Amino acid sequence: MLSPSFVLLFGLLMPQAGGTVTDFSKILPKSILGWEAVQKDAVYDRQTLYDYLDGGAEVYLAFDFKQAFVRKYSGPGQNEIALDIYDMGSSAEAFGVFSCDRQDEDAGIGQESEYGPGLLRFWQGPYFVSVTVGGDEREAEKAILALGRAAASCLGPAGEKPGLLQCLPPEGLRPNRSCYFHSAINLNNRFFISSENILNLSRQTNCLLAEYGQSPAGPVHLLVVQYLEEGQAPAAVESFLQSYLPQGRETGAAQTDNKKWTMAKVYKNYAAIAFDAPSREWAEQFLSSLQFQEK
Amino acid sequence: MNKVITRREFVRGASWAVLGAAVRFPGDRQDVSPSSRVVLIRQEGALDASSKVNEEVIQQMLDEAVMRLLDQDSPAKAFSLLVRPGEVVGIKSNVWSYLPTPPEVEGAIKRRLMEAGIKEEDIGLDDHTVRTNPLFQKATSLINVRPLRTHYLAGISGCLKNYIMFAESQPDLHPDSCAELGSLFLLPQVKGKTRLNVLCALTPQYYGRGPHHFNRRYVWAYKGLIVGQDPVAVDAVGLSLIMAKRRQELGPAQEIPPVPKHIRIADQKYGLGTSDLNRIELVKLGWTDGMLI
Repeated sequence: MLSPSFVLLFGLLMPQAGGTVTDFSKILPKSILGWEAVQKDAVYDRQTLYDYLDGGAEVYLAFDFKQAFVRKYSGPGQNEIALDIYDMGSSAEAFGVFSCDRQDEDAGIGQESEYGPGLLRFWQGPYFVSVTVGGDEREAEKAILALGRAAASCLGPAGEKPGLLQCLPPEGLRPNRSCYFHSAINLNNRFFISSENILNLSRQTNCLLAEYGQSPAGPVHLLVVQYLEEGQAPAAVESFLQSYLPQGRETGAAQTDNKKWTMAKVYKNYAAIAFDAPSREWAEQFLSSLQFQEK
Repeated sequence: MNKVITRREFVRGASWAVLGAAVRFPGDRQDVSPSSRVVLIRQEGALDASSKVNEEVIQQMLDEAVMRLLDQDSPAKAFSLLVRPGEVVGIKSNVWSYLPTPPEVEGAIKRRLMEAGIKEEDIGLDDHTVRTNPLFQKATSLINVRPLRTHYLAGISGCLKNYIMFAESQPDLHPDSCAELGSLFLLPQVKGKTRLNVLCALTPQYYGRGPHHFNRRYVWAYKGLIVGQDPVAVDAVGLSLIMAKRRQELGPAQEIPPVPKHIRIADQKYGLGTSDLNRIELVKLGWTDGMLI
């Protein structure tokens, strides 16, 4: 249990909306299970994140990333643990960056988490956190999990997931395989559709990619894109059909080479595409069951 | 808009055709030019059980690969075809903390450069500061060496991407899956200077997760070096290896690391080399277990 003095300190120092993640420097443990903080803590923003993440910065910049706090810990065998706390601007964005890379087992840390050898990921409120080790994962596992719990206790209250998730029909949904994002880079790393941005995705679009069913033939993938304006959705679907499904330009649906069906629909400012449905009728009924909110 | 490559082409197995290459290395090669020869050499003893690099074996692998690449019977003769005494040579390495160029590989290259008549003080070894490094600014030859791994934007990080540190602005090269990486080879500091490309496939990384795109679960002890004078051909071979491993471990749906279009563009737009596996002479030497390609 946390002591009253810690709670008071935490309340005073925890970064508030519009604040800075540098305050984490004062409240995060400098030592944990024999691992000691080394080097100076670092903070990166949208301009400097490239200096820290080689090739991965765009993944965060495609969301509403604000700042990242980084602390390194040194332990046995010259192993190094990196604690990264990303202020994503909102809980929806923090959930989004977490959701795009899910693969491991729940670790019970923060609002949602996962742990696989050498990599802990979780989100809480507007923060996404990763704790990684570059060397021996077994030696670092206890420290990684303890550090994650310590960090989670500093992140403040829970936040809401994106409202767009409510459009998903619950039946057959695999929640741990649903992700929220904005840009083509996130889509293609999860479910490659095209080498070009044929759906005109950008930071202004809100997207869901969800998996349905446990069929041995593979899941049905559902892509939902919320555009700012109504006119953008039909234009995007037309572009998609032209490049991806030219034989379906008239009807919005076609059977693909794997004998499954792909169908695209527009509802006001939303585009919805079902990939690899077992039949045209199934796809039609499935897309009709989406519960879109007015924009 | 560039030619659109969709998931459907991948499902049909035609991805390599639209990327500008064949789906597999063919039995009958066509119009292979000497510059598109690539040597893949592997030795079981290159790494021990804890992935520690064996310096002696690495030297032997590099020597054998370069000799075969240039049809020479000694390392000295082979390297003397790459550089001349009196030259200034920059070794463009890679210091990415999770998977850097092994010092043993850098050392093996440097040793042979010195034997070819390059003074030690005229050999530079650098990564992040090559653009402003005085030695690299006056270098007359470059050696390009780095590990093979996947990359969130570019699909793979290979020899083409290794030169991004020569760019004034690296983020400027990031749009559209780093499509224009080939332009780096036309920069005045680089153009016409690359004598050898060494893509380290000792412990390649076939998949990436987390902010740093690295986790040891996704590297494997392949114990190879991919060596050539054509950076496009070297990267095309590296990509084919990554794809084969992804197919094996992740399944056909995730075979392609999205989206390695920069290799085809380096060939077709910038004319830097050959991306079509039909037109690459791949010479395979050494250990054959788990070759994959």
